[in-house]
Amino acid sequence: MSTQRFIQNFRHSRGVLFASADLGAGTLEKTLSKLGMTLSGAESVDLTTLDDEKDVLFIDGDQPLNPSAFVNMGSSVPMAPAIGIVGTEAPSRLKLLLEAGVTAFLRKPLHAGTIYAALFLGVNGYRRVRAMENQLAENARRRRDRRFVVKAVVALVQARGLTDDEAYAQIRRASMQKRLGIEEFCANLCSRDGGIILDGWKSFDPPEWRDQTEESTDASHIDDGGGHDGHAGPDVRKRG
Amino acid sequence: MAKLRIPVGILISSDGPYSVVSGSMFCGALLAVDEVNASGSSVELQPVIGNPGGQIARYASLSESMLNDGLRHVVGCYTSSSRKEIIPLFEKADALLWYPSHYEGFESSPNVIYTGPVANQHLFPLVEYLTRQVGTTAFCIGSNYIWAWENNRILREAIGSGGAVVAERYFPVGNLDFDQVIEAIIAARPSYIFNTLIGVSSYQFLRDLRAACTKRGINQIETMPVASCTLSEPELRAIGPTAMSGHITSSVYFSSIVSKENTAFVHAYAARHPERPIVSADAEATYLAVKLLALALMEAGTADVDEVKAAVSRQVVKAPQGVVRIDPDTMHASLTPRIGRSTDDGTFEILVQSPAPVRADPYLIRRSPRFGLSTMQGVVRAAS
Repeated sequence: MSTQRFIQNFRHSRGVLFASADLGAGTLEKTLSKLGMTLSGAESVDLTTLDDEKDVLFIDGDQPLNPSAFVNMGSSVPMAPAIGIVGTEAPSRLKLLLEAGVTAFLRKPLHAGTIYAALFLGVNGYRRVRAMENQLAENARRRRDRRFVVKAVVALVQARGLTDDEAYAQIRRASMQKRLGIEEFCANLCSRDGGIILDGWKSFDPPEWRDQTEESTDASHIDDGGGHDGHAGPDVRKRG
Repeated sequence: MAKLRIPVGILISSDGPYSVVSGSMFCGALLAVDEVNASGSSVELQPVIGNPGGQIARYASLSESMLNDGLRHVVGCYTSSSRKEIIPLFEKADALLWYPSHYEGFESSPNVIYTGPVANQHLFPLVEYLTRQVGTTAFCIGSNYIWAWENNRILREAIGSGGAVVAERYFPVGNLDFDQVIEAIIAARPSYIFNTLIGVSSYQFLRDLRAACTKRGINQIETMPVASCTLSEPELRAIGPTAMSGHITSSVYFSSIVSKENTAFVHAYAARHPERPIVSADAEATYLAVKLLALALMEAGTADVDEVKAAVSRQVVKAPQGVVRIDPDTMHASLTPRIGRSTDDGTFEILVQSPAPVRADPYLIRRSPRFGLSTMQGVVRAAS
């Protein structure tokens, strides 16, 4: 898994405060200013323009709250990093903050000495969750498309009399040369005939690997999206 | 006009493990109190002395006692751990702590005035000097706590791709056995050694390193000098004559600064404390804190914290180190960075200095990159 870069300097970022007027936000505003940030009330911000690289939401859990308003459709992460402001520690309020996707919290009354830590943990926690969500979505897509890899391996085994390991290695090599993920490459191959393997595939010999040699069976490529794929032969066999 | 008599807490360890430094802070505070009271000004400071002896728990109990007695202003603390321990008490009582030591930054309490330097005033100038004048590879050795950890992180970031940290080694505070790490340093041959050891550990390391290099015929000062942001004049005496010279230090104050104000300060300090070593940066920062407090009290005409805070940011002090003022945004002091090299007579030769005071940037928002370093380079190991 790639290393997640973390943000440590919040200069030029903007805090967007969702709170009633009762919340004394002076400490928050003053401390954010020391960190090179500004603070705006949510009522003065067009929420459709939020930038998750620059904006940070501060959500007061003691006010009426609709968590789904903060979360993108089909996602568990909010529109931008969110920090909960906790007054009443009742589970009902904490649950709403959790559902809104907060990744750090500030306790009321707000203290200057806790705000940088909340920002650091909240923003970087959000980035970690967002990266994991993106990775999960990518893995789900690849899992769906994996059947095309199986189809292509089978076709190549039948067309050339290779073992499944050799066929898989050739497909990987060819996808590397095309700078495509192996699933996408195989999906393209299979879609030539409407995505259905036909009887004619026994003579399957697409131009993409017509010039492949035995040397191309090097299985050490890393651009296949995961460490296990380099040793996927038995897995392919099983599924075959 | 009636004098304003203000009790002021002096919460400094005049004995304990880092007393060489904190003792000089204590002397700087007393000198400033004497000068304020002898000046005939409208304010008389009444020192209330608490000596925590370097014990964290004592800082809290003495602070509570001072605050319960109604004190609104306390000058004190050397280590960050002691400061962190008592800040909640000051915030709760809405009193003001005047913190006179260099520290690692990333703090800006509304109940603290910071008169010592932060990283953009000591570490960044040091890295710039070392990279240009000494070399690009560093071996980091430090006491295993926040001062060393955070400084080494900033050092790596400041060096960037133009150099390398070949190793980071940490030792318990008070450790005196450095034979193995000295062997590792000599084998690695870095351009310089970045030292964040404190107190007796630092003195022992410097002596042992010098002895080991001399034994092997290595000119340590020329081939791999030791650099730090802390070494001060009283500590050179503690190191002793065999190894006190040739160390590079970044500081906003050296006793060798040539100015009318500094000459007066050095002489007054020596006269007030004839039994003590000469002044240090920490003594000057503490002297400065008390002077700023007195000026702010004079202008405010009251000990009220909000009024004193407002007044202090309007003061401009011609301090021994140069012009100093408090930034109202961060309540940190603008100070003048300098790089010095220790000499055989227990002082520092000033190699370079900033042409003007530098504003403090406690969160490094003006210098540090948006993204931190993702991966550690070199060898990181906590020695036990």
